[in-house]
Amino acid sequence: MIALRKSLDALYTAAGVLAALSLIAILLLILVQMLARWTGEVFPGAPDYAGYAMAAASFLAFANALNRGSHIRVSIVLNALGPTARRWLDIWCFAIATAVMWYFVYYAQRFVFWSWKFGDVSQGQDKTPLWMPQGLMLLGAVILAIALTDNLLHLILKGENRIHRNLHDQASGE
Amino acid sequence: MENLSVILLFLFVLFTLLGSGVWVGLALMGVAWVGMELFTSRPVGDVMLTTIWSTSSSWTLTALPMFIWMGEILYRTRLSEDMFRGLSPWMAPLPGGLVHTNIVGCTVFAAVSGSSAATLTTVGKMSIPELRKRQYPERMVIGTLAGAATLGLMIPPSLTLIVYGVTINESITKLFFAGIVPGLVLAAMFMGYVAIYAKLSGNWAPASEPKLTFAEKVRNSRFLLPVICLILVVIGSMYLGFATATEAAAFGVIGALLLALGQGSLNWTTFTESLMGATRTSAMIALILAGAAFLSLSMGFTGLPRGLAELVAAWELTRFELLMVLLVFYIILGCFLDGISSVVLTMAVVEPMVRQAGIDLIWFGIFIVVVVEMAQITPPIGFNLFVLQGMTDHEMGFIARAAIPMFLIMVLMVFVLIAIPELATWLPNTLRPTTA
Amino acid sequence: EKWDMPLAYSATNFHSENAAEFAQCVTSGTNGEIEITTHPSGSLFKGADIKRAVQTGQVPIGERLLSGHQNENPLFGFDSVPFLATSFDDSVALYEAAKPKLEEVLAEQNLTLLYAVPWPPQGLYFKDEVTSVEDMKGVKFRSYNSATARLAELTGMLPVTIEAAEISQAFATGVAESMVSSGATGYDRKVWESLNYFYEVDAWLPRNYVMVNSDAWNGLGDANKTVLTDCAATAEANGLQLSKDYTQFTMDGLAEGGMTVAPASDTLVGELKTIGETMTAEWLEAAGDDGQAIVDAFKN
Ligand code: NA
Ligand code: NA
Repeated sequence: MIALRKSLDALYTAAGVLAALSLIAILLLILVQMLARWTGEVFPGAPDYAGYAMAAASFLAFANALNRGSHIRVSIVLNALGPTARRWLDIWCFAIATAVMWYFVYYAQRFVFWSWKFGDVSQGQDKTPLWMPQGLMLLGAVILAIALTDNLLHLILKGENRIHRNLHDQASGE
Repeated sequence: MENLSVILLFLFVLFTLLGSGVWVGLALMGVAWVGMELFTSRPVGDVMLTTIWSTSSSWTLTALPMFIWMGEILYRTRLSEDMFRGLSPWMAPLPGGLVHTNIVGCTVFAAVSGSSAATLTTVGKMSIPELRKRQYPERMVIGTLAGAATLGLMIPPSLTLIVYGVTINESITKLFFAGIVPGLVLAAMFMGYVAIYAKLSGNWAPASEPKLTFAEKVRNSRFLLPVICLILVVIGSMYLGFATATEAAAFGVIGALLLALGQGSLNWTTFTESLMGATRTSAMIALILAGAAFLSLSMGFTGLPRGLAELVAAWELTRFELLMVLLVFYIILGCFLDGISSVVLTMAVVEPMVRQAGIDLIWFGIFIVVVVEMAQITPPIGFNLFVLQGMTDHEMGFIARAAIPMFLIMVLMVFVLIAIPELATWLPNTLRPTTA
Repeated sequence: EKWDMPLAYSATNFHSENAAEFAQCVTSGTNGEIEITTHPSGSLFKGADIKRAVQTGQVPIGERLLSGHQNENPLFGFDSVPFLATSFDDSVALYEAAKPKLEEVLAEQNLTLLYAVPWPPQGLYFKDEVTSVEDMKGVKFRSYNSATARLAELTGMLPVTIEAAEISQAFATGVAESMVSSGATGYDRKVWESLNYFYEVDAWLPRNYVMVNSDAWNGLGDANKTVLTDCAATAEANGLQLSKDYTQFTMDGLAEGGMTVAPASDTLVGELKTIGETMTAEWLEAAGDDGQAIVDAFKN
């Protein structure tokens, strides 16, 4: 059990680190594109690559953000309830979220599979086979679905919510 | 009334999911799914993936994490202390005294930060202790800070305007330039209120400041140099044509990193903390945007936005009446939702109405921002209230009451914007190529 | 049956207005058995997503600028080879020549072609006067795909990538100083605030294609199929006329805005023709025998 816990947490962290690297990649891509323009060079496809990095940065960070309480939820009702009722409502929330995410994952793997099967390539100058960047989205979605399932089971079995609201992260977006 | 049942169903599922506390982005996906399953025969899952991939991998969106990251870096520098030292000698002689540092500080910091809460935390961290030390009325200190920090959303760069621009496919640079003048006007209105209050209030007796000569004031202003440089880099790069709005954000990150390096506040820990914080925050917004994109597609399939827009058009509201309806609608929505969610959630319905009424979409972006700014300080869900609660240990009720005058000033600002639309439209329309 | 039809361009664009009329024609012609609702401005699917959405049955019908997909199959770019077909008449002839092959390729992708309408001819926008390719050296040129980037390369311009939404701003701030596009784009974006010259080089006339998912098509009764084909034929003819009218309208608009609207100088036309031959050869290399067959059929 402890080994499983540790490897799951490591998975979330690793995905978060990959997401952070994608963010750095966005920064570098934008800078290189500007430098190229100023110096009369050409860097074809930079905006497309930045777009893929954006999708990767978002999806790979979803699970990490969830566990750190960064995702926004309306907590008026939750806060007004007593501990038992609150626990049931939290279970309902995690159950809905878990279902939505596994549904997403099922269709995402079809989506990526068809991109691969059709040989779908980007319409931009990068001509990237789309299943590659889309694969990163799928990976992130799977990890978020695992994290939600993990939290749901923890809540049901151990009775505690592992996620605590992170005001700083939520507020920085406003 | 087929429309009515669709609306009621959407609203019921939406309120159930959002109200019970399901994460906003996932709740929106759930609502969208229900709508499509019930009202169309299309393959829902495939549609969901097409639209979410297309939204999530958008190039214009990349400005978002960059501006957030920049804010995270600046939050960990000495920038706010420096700003207070530079500004206070100039503010002290004004009626209202150092309370103006709250407003001017927020205005200046708003020009480098894209978010209201980042502005609030950075400026408040320094000004609250200093103002308290000098016995300024607490209610005034808290209220002005809560209100003025919302300028972070209007004065460019602005996360709300990026999200709005991405949602309706308008130029973000144009929206940014549209926000400058209204932002300054709103700041001036806040300052006017402080001055009048200080003159009329009987118990306004803060500790007096040491008299500084003009030369000393100027010398103290050197502390403002770093932040001014950053503003010049971010806005200047756009205006001079070195960069688009997206690229200016990258400049901002580099500028903030250099500033932190210069002040010695950049080390491995602060770097990784800022990076991970930015990653999580932008993921949070990206999840909401993904859900909203799917919801707006689902509504498009049901024909609901068009139906509603036609319905409102049939009421034959004047432009002014429509704006009043929207104002009340967004104030109510803003009590419960954060600004970005309320923008993305409503645009599918509101955009056609606004277009039909012949309202300029750039101007409307600024209108939306003022209204979303109000939402920051209205209970029960108002991020600036939460942040101030965390910073000051005041009760939420006290902070919300302290911010009421600021709320009213923002309502007044909406009418100013309606009366003089040029405040928002003049600058983006006159932007001409420079000789550079 | 309700058919949703995503369109990438705004409701007032002539393609969208034409599509709305087509939708009306089908709806009334089939007595409401097929009710087509158009969704302009990319409000349902964005332009880039429309083809795949139709292909996979997410919507039964849609309109797309097919040359956007030439990375996927060079054949889709037949209507965007610079200086191959440079008038409305040529454009029609080229389209007729390509149609059999194109329909075959689309059928393999589960798509049935209904009709296609050309955009107004593509011209060159510049900030400063240009009389020869020499004058274009070093000019920052807005490119949006491989072909336009290649055009920049061959003329010595610097391709810069600008998203459609940022066009006006990019010119206003000098991030870009030139582009190739129809008069319509410049008119819609009011580029005369920043650019001064529009040269009617009529480089190519790209087309929007209205396509139906083949499963949806095969599921129709013969009567309804006939209605759709008839409406499509009407839309194709009307669209062509609308495009011609709109070309004149936008040229007048650009001139009224203060731009110099003129044919390119003889020197420039000659040089561009040579570049066109190079790019046609390159396209033929990519498009293979099928491409050659289209060009041969067109030239006869
Ligand atoms: Na700002
Ligand atoms: Na609120």
